[in-house]
Parts: sequence; structure tokens; C-alpha cells
Amino acid sequence: MHLVRRLFATWTGFVFLFFYLPIAVLVLFSFNQSRLNIVWTGFTFDWYLKLFEDRVLVKTLKNSLIVATFTTVLSVLLGTIGAWLLYRYRYRASSFLETLVFMPMIVPEVILGVSLLILFVTIGLQLGYTTIVISHVTFCFPFVMAAVQARLAGLDPALEEAALDLGATPAQAFTKVLVPYLMPAIVSGALMSFTLSLDELIVTYFTASAGTRTLPLEIFGRVKKGLDPSLNAISTVFILVTVLAVFLTEALRRRNP
Amino acid sequence: MTRIFSLVLALLVFAVAPALADEELNLFAWSEYVPQAVLDGFTKETGIQVNYETYASNEEMLAKLLSGAASYDLIQPSEYTIEALVKEKQLLPLDHKKIPNLKNIGKEYWNQPHDPKLEYSVPYMQGTVGIVVNTQKIKHPVLGYVDVFQPANKGRIVVLDDALEIVTWALAANGLGPNDVTKANLEKIRPTLQKWLPLVKVYDSDSPKTALLNGDVDLGVVWSGEAAILINEQPGKFSYTLPKEGAHMFIDNLAIPKGAENKDAAHQFINYVLRPDVSVQISKEFPYTNPNVEARKLLTPAERANPASYPPGNPKLATFRDIGPMSADVDKLFTDLKAKSGS
Amino acid sequence: MRQEHTSFSAAAGSRREPGRAGWLLLAPLILWALAFVVAPAVIMLVYSFARRGTLGGVVLEFTLENYAGVFDPVYLQIVIRSILYAALTTAICLAAGYPVAFLIGRAEERWRNLLLMAVMVPFWTSFLIRTYAWVTILKSEGLLNSLLMQFQLISEPLQMLYTPGAVVLGLVYTFLPFMILPIYSSVEKLDGALIEAALDLGAGPLRAFARVIVPLTQPGIAAGVLLVFVPALGIYAVNDIMGGGRVDMIGNIIENQFKGNARNWPFGAALGTTLLVSFAIAYFYVNRRQRAVAQGMS
Repeated sequence: MHLVRRLFATWTGFVFLFFYLPIAVLVLFSFNQSRLNIVWTGFTFDWYLKLFEDRVLVKTLKNSLIVATFTTVLSVLLGTIGAWLLYRYRYRASSFLETLVFMPMIVPEVILGVSLLILFVTIGLQLGYTTIVISHVTFCFPFVMAAVQARLAGLDPALEEAALDLGATPAQAFTKVLVPYLMPAIVSGALMSFTLSLDELIVTYFTASAGTRTLPLEIFGRVKKGLDPSLNAISTVFILVTVLAVFLTEALRRRNP
Repeated sequence: MTRIFSLVLALLVFAVAPALADEELNLFAWSEYVPQAVLDGFTKETGIQVNYETYASNEEMLAKLLSGAASYDLIQPSEYTIEALVKEKQLLPLDHKKIPNLKNIGKEYWNQPHDPKLEYSVPYMQGTVGIVVNTQKIKHPVLGYVDVFQPANKGRIVVLDDALEIVTWALAANGLGPNDVTKANLEKIRPTLQKWLPLVKVYDSDSPKTALLNGDVDLGVVWSGEAAILINEQPGKFSYTLPKEGAHMFIDNLAIPKGAENKDAAHQFINYVLRPDVSVQISKEFPYTNPNVEARKLLTPAERANPASYPPGNPKLATFRDIGPMSADVDKLFTDLKAKSGS
Repeated sequence: MRQEHTSFSAAAGSRREPGRAGWLLLAPLILWALAFVVAPAVIMLVYSFARRGTLGGVVLEFTLENYAGVFDPVYLQIVIRSILYAALTTAICLAAGYPVAFLIGRAEERWRNLLLMAVMVPFWTSFLIRTYAWVTILKSEGLLNSLLMQFQLISEPLQMLYTPGAVVLGLVYTFLPFMILPIYSSVEKLDGALIEAALDLGAGPLRAFARVIVPLTQPGIAAGVLLVFVPALGIYAVNDIMGGGRVDMIGNIIENQFKGNARNWPFGAALGTTLLVSFAIAYFYVNRRQRAVAQGMS
């Protein structure tokens, strides 16, 4: 076992190196003097200072976070409940429904964006946070559902039976036994969902309004002029804040088990 | 009694009138093409709030505009899109009386095929598509498309990822008109493209300057704005030439779409942008060719001398026409040859 | 009480017929699917049989010319190329991601969530900046080449960027987390004693690993493959930047019809519908077969 574990640990190290190499470059270049973010010309903090003036960029980051959070919450709800229901009950349309649910994953984003736009216009739904969140949830919740389904596939039915035998109501069995069991898959799916929503571009273009621009839209818009390092700076700040938040929550969790 | 009545009436009119005037403007334009300072200046002077929504291609703009999802007061189409929009009666005619600053637009921008009398559109910025060369790596002159696409340059070329552009270059190189896009002509230029495409290292319409700055390519055919940025960033290293076989001149314009709600505000904005002091702000951020001759006078000598912004001489230029359904054939030819050119 | 370890199906004994409650609870999902999956798909389907409009959009006249175009060799070669790249990416992601997922899944509880976050955090930066960072690393005058030349391992810069290899690298980078996460949750529930036992017996740890442990995580693997292969088919941006725009995939073609100057929405819709229908048929068939296998094993 130790051999396997050591092999895997080394390999994991390499994979993390792979993941973080461009991030390291990204952070490094946030201190680059050159506006064009292509060749290194010197060290400066200017771009971080510029973030304070760039109201537009900060607002779009806020929008992205709002959208991603709502998307993740809804995706987790829909995906988990959907996965559990399809597992639990023998619906005749199970295969059909599952296929339907996973379709948005394969539909190219531009088609999804255009057809959702037309749908929203047809039913008279105004573009804004609601339409963006709906679009994001549509292709995010299949990821949650797939993760939870995979986890359910190995569920020992005796677990639930035992809980019911010991006097739990079905609702209690669900929340106190099943949900904790599903947690790793839920966390897994939530992470995927959040990530997908945060960086989504095309579908968002078609379903957003002027006031609800997200960060990817803003960044892509700046390509022609040149991706100046303030974009690296905001990414770096975001990572720092996230990592800090995670460490804080972990520290708090350990203090109050 | 009548005095009081007329006073009250006058007061009422004054109270209501501002509410009747447009309070906001829905601007739908290219991303990063309208500086925030220009928008803020407009709001400060007129009190009109500008809602700036952006797009990255004419087609994206059309998709959202025609879906009816939102009503826009101003859009910023390129010249061949203006032509199509006019044909489909999607634009409102402009009231020239409300845009007296139109006189600042250079004479050469009138009588263009897409809108000869500027009835529906006003030029915003103009540019060209031309040859940029890293003169430190390539010492001999590169004057035309044929010079660019030489076997010696294999793997050192960047071009726009744009089927229509590349096809028009091939047409020009074969002595055909750039807008003569017919099935027969497409077949005629097929051998040319088969020779050219394998020589290309990078296709990039968004930021071709990246490959040139990286040193991954030594020359390319790109937007003049990109070349101008290169020339400003690293003076003396890059040159910009308009191909002698003929170059594409594109004109981005402001126009008012059919469903616009704030037509007055739209006219006001157009007139505001046509002011030399405002127009020059745009030039400073986006070094394309400013069609406003009064604004050009306010540029610094260095800016005025940038050969990508203001190409010298009397080059052979042509705008794009709307080619209708032929765009599908163009796309297919390009896709096919690009895929076969080996990757 | 049987325990079944097949994917996407429950232990046969515990699945019940849905009563009213069962259908009621499922209603939101069905409604959502109808509204935001079926409706847009129908729109796309209708468009695929229409004619192109002058300004993009469609003219509602019936035609089959778009589907004729789909099966044209010009576009078919791109479809095949997309499938190959997606398959290769999935295979590499599986091989590279499994050990990572296994390690995290078997790690002590206090580290697990942190490790998962560590996997995802890089992908909370903007895709564009991240990919341009790769360009900075891999270009001719880039960090990697400079390093290699510094240590005199090479005398001339290697051509790494704007190649098919760079595209695969970019794709693997994009999708690796989506292979790791589903497999992780399958690994996490494995019985520690069982794993130790399996690895102590028999012909060696690696063989035991492959024969015993991997099959136990099959649902996670299947989910990972689905969540990588399918989205990879629609990719357009990564290959565009990393491949220098020379490696067009089906996603680029479709994008072009809507956002480029091809202005041929019906053709794009036809391509999309074909992709969708192919996936739906394949997935539906595989899914039904697995359910049947699960039923059969009870």
C-alpha cells in the first residue's frame, strides 16, 4: 500500500504543479510593468492600485459571484433531489428524463445561448440576473446530478433501513443519513457548478443585460485593446480572498467541531 | 385670472417637459470602443444616463438586436452590415438638422456605397487591414499579399481568423474585385488559398499583436488598430504597409435601429461624439483612423505620423459590400482549406 | 439484500414504484427540463429546417439543405477530428486524474475538502488570462524554452505552442478537474479495510489495484468520462488560442455560423441538432442497457 500511496502522492504533486504553473505566471504578471501582458518589462504595484479606480471591473466580479452562488445553490438542489428521486423510484421515463437532463452539456454554448434568448423573449422574461441564473443552472445541474448519482450507485440500502428501524421518520432518514452520505458528491458537484458558472461566457452574452455584465464578458471585451495586468490583479486578489476565506472557515470549524 | 392661469400652465409645462425629454440612452456598441470618459462627459453635459452594452462581432449585435430582447437607441455596425440593415429597413433615417457637427466628417466618407448620403449612419472610426512586418527580422520590403505568402515565410505569418477577409485578399491578388464574391471566383482563388494557408502559423482576429510581440511570427496581415498599438509600444520595430493589390477599408458607424425609444438622446450623442475635442479622446484610446478631420487637427504629431493610423500615400482601398448568401460558401471554402492545410 | 455496484441504477430491491408523492417531487425537475431543455432544443430543431435570414436569424421556410451540409465531407472531417481530440483528452484525464482522485478520497478527513478546493481554485481565475499564461510559458521566447536553453538542454527553442500537442495540453488542463471530482466521491466511500486487504493479497499492489479497486469506483469513472468527453466535443476557445486558430473543431464551426460572418443560423442549428441527437441516442441506449443489467442481476 505504501508503494501505491507514495507513487500516487508524487504523481499528485506533479498534477498540482501542472495546475498552478499558469496561475503562478498569472500572479507574477500582475506585477508586470508592460500594459500588454505579453513580455515582462519590470515590477510594479500599479495595476493593483488601478483596481480601486476600475469600478466596472469590480462590479462585474460582484455580478459573477452573485450569479455563481445562486446557480450553485439551485443546481445542488435540483441535481441532488433529481438524482435521489431517479434512484429511489422506478419511473418508467427514467432513462428518457436523464437523457434530457444531460442534453445541455452537449449543446454548443452558442446554440444554447441563442435558443434561450429566443425563449426568454417569447415568454416575455426580461434579461437580467434571473435569465443568466436560469441559463447557468440548466447546464450546471447535470454535473451535480451525475456526481450524486455515481455516489448513490454504491449506497447500501441497509443504511436507510437501519435508520428507519431505529425510529427515524423518512424525512429524518433523508437528512441525517442520506445527505451526510452524499456530502462528498454534493461538494464535488457544487464545486464544478460554481467553477462553470464563474467562467461562463457565451450563454451569458445572450442572456445578460447591460447592468448585469459578468467578469468573463468584461475580460473578453478587453482583448482587442489588450489584456492589461489589472485583469491579472483582480484574478490574484480573488484567489487570495477565496483561499483566505477557506482557511478561516476551516480554522473556525476545527475550533467548534 | 388668465395671468395666473397662464403662469400655472407655464409652470406645469416646465415641470413636465424634462420628463418628456429622454433621460437615458441605450448604447449597443463594440466592447472597448467607447471610452468611459466620453460617456461620463456626455452624462455630465446632458444629464442623460448611458447604458452601455457591448458585443464582439457584428453578428452578435444582430442576434441580440433582432431578437427583440431589448430596445437599443444606438448601434455601431460596420459598413457591410449597415448596407444589409438598410436593405432590411432596420434603421431609422437620421435627422441631419440635429447633428450639425456632421460637417466635421471628411469628404471621402461621403458617397461610400453602403450609405452615400449618410442618411442612416455616421462614421465613427475607420481602419484598414494591412501588412505589419517585424523589420528587425525581415529586412526586405513586403509590399503586397503575394510578398507575404512566400514559402520563405512559412510558419512565420499571422493573419486574421476571418474567412471573408482572407478570401478578399486572394481575390485582390488574382486581380479580381474584393467584392466580386461569386461561386466561379471562389473556385478561381482556391489554388491561391491552397498555396497560402499552409504557410500561416497563427489565425487570430482578437489579438494578432500577441503573436507578433511574442516573436512567434515575423509578419502578418492584421487590423490597422492592432498595428498602431504595436508601433506605439515598440517604436521603430514594426512597419505597416497597405497591400498594393488593394486593401480593405472598414468603417464602423453609429446608427439608430428601428425600435429605438430615445431618438433625441441618440442624435444628441452622435452630435456630441462628432465634436473634435470628444472625438480626439476616442482616437487617443483607439488609434484607428479618425474620420473627423477637425479632431485630427488635435492629435499630437507622433499620433498623426503613426503609419497604421494614417497610412501615407494614395493606397488602393475598398469597403466591404454585403454579399448575402455567398457568406456560407465563403465559410465552407475557408473551413475546408484550413482543415486540409495541415495541423 | 443485494448490493449492486453498477452505475446509474439502484440496488434493485429498494426501488419502489413512484406514488403521487414521487411524481410530485419530480415535478420541478420535469418542468425545468421541459422549459429550459426541451423548449430550446425544439427551437434549435425548427431552425435547422429553416432558411437563413439576411441579417442572420431564420426565414421559416422548410428546407433540408442544412442537413445536407452537415454530412458534407468538408464538415465531417472536422466532426471526426473533434471526436478524436475529445476521446484523447478523456483518456489522458482518466489516467492522470485517477491517482489524484484516489489520493484525495483516501486522505484524512480534515485535508479532503482543502485538497478539493486546491484542485478547483486555479479554475476560478479567468479562462482567458489563464490560457494566455500558458502562451507565455510555451511560446518560442517563453518561460519553458528560456529555462531549457538556460540549462543547455536544447540549442534552439522548441515549437510547443500553436501545435496539436498544445491543444491537447489546453484541453486536459481545462477538463482534468471534472474527471477528478466525480471519481473522488466514488473513492471516498470505499471501505478502508477492504482496500488494505485487497492490496495485501495476491500478485502485487498494482494488479490488485486494477482488478479490485478500480472496478469498485466504476460509477465515478463513468461520471467522469461523461463530464469530460461530452463538453469537450463542444470546445472552441481553448483550441483556438493554444492551436493558433489552426485546429478548428465542431464548436468553432457552429460558433462561426452564429457569431462569425457566415451568418448561417440554420446550418449551425443543424450541426447542433445532429450532435445532440447522436449524444441522446448513444446515452439513452447505454443508460437503458445499464439499467437492464442492474435489473437482471437481481
